[in-house]
Amino acid sequence: MCDWCLKHGNGKKWYMNAKNYSNELAKDLDLEDYLTEQWMNFETVFIRKIMGISSKGLGYKLKMPIIGRVLRWLAERMIHSESKNRNPMRADGHFGQVLPLEDAQIILSELAAEPIMENYCMCRWMQKGKKEACCINFGVLSGVIEKLPRFIPKDRVVMLDREQAMERLEEHNKKGYIASVWFQPVPYICAICSCETPECGGLRLRNDFNLKAVYKAEYIIQLDHDKCEGCKACVSMCQFSAIRFIPSINRVMIDYDKCFGCGVCRHACKFDALQLIPREEYPGFDGKY
Amino acid sequence: MSKTKIRIDYDKCGENGKVDPRDCRKCLEVCDPCVFLMHEALGCKEEDPYNPQHWRITPVWPSVCTRCFYCVKACPEKAIKISW
Repeated sequence: MCDWCLKHGNGKKWYMNAKNYSNELAKDLDLEDYLTEQWMNFETVFIRKIMGISSKGLGYKLKMPIIGRVLRWLAERMIHSESKNRNPMRADGHFGQVLPLEDAQIILSELAAEPIMENYCMCRWMQKGKKEACCINFGVLSGVIEKLPRFIPKDRVVMLDREQAMERLEEHNKKGYIASVWFQPVPYICAICSCETPECGGLRLRNDFNLKAVYKAEYIIQLDHDKCEGCKACVSMCQFSAIRFIPSINRVMIDYDKCFGCGVCRHACKFDALQLIPREEYPGFDGKY
Repeated sequence: MSKTKIRIDYDKCGENGKVDPRDCRKCLEVCDPCVFLMHEALGCKEEDPYNPQHWRITPVWPSVCTRCFYCVKACPEKAIKISW
């Protein structure tokens, strides 16, 4: 369990705490206006200047001596902000965690607040120019996104019931998209995304700049060496290049440091060689989110 | 490796140019590392703030650019320049 579970998990994982999904919480934090303002301007979040500095060329800025370190500290403080005067024009308090399909199904079947909708993924639109409906939003956020025509698919139903939402998520997951659950803003949870690198804004910050905008899952993959037949099917499923095929031993090898524990590779394995185990049971990688 | 500089001529593309990035967006599609970001132009007056009409493209992550020059070739307005 990470710090956020201790703070907002009520003894469980943070995303398993029903309170974080409740409409009362959204009302207490006055989130309808906040999220409307945020979503109206979300594409500009990386180019807006914060204290004279924007995210443009962030990779170079973070490499600068001293300034880079200060910048990293400021950026993470902003992403994890729980302060009362959060600014909707920035991504204050908006971060998430990768999670396996099973946990995501529990959220969609029991915890997520209705109404549930599926809208166009903003990251794919703003970074790849592609409109693909694969973001599942719920609670207050559904009402907010409904007002923004650029995120609403015209040719299909956008409002889903719990069953449909679970089906859609499974479909995306089997395609190779990573399920992730998001605080927006912390501690309110209102989205399960099906992300892909490098388009995803959160995974971009994590993978390329090592900013904790997305945490690794509470799980990690385990490979059964005897069962692996070396078919390489899992290699193409991994978005984090954590699986590599080694010809001389005719099986794959896992880079556990890179594994986010999304469990997507399991869909490709025909020999049941890949299993997810809780991260805390794997010495050396427990606590590494 | 030296810093990659990517410049877009906003007289040709964007809210002041004749091309609407939302219709073209060829550079976004060809860019494998997704260096570009398509966003509402800042400081423009929007009639309907829920449905903004002024958009532009910014090369926001030049540090991940692989210098493949696909965007330069793909741009119909020849608006992109890369140097280092």
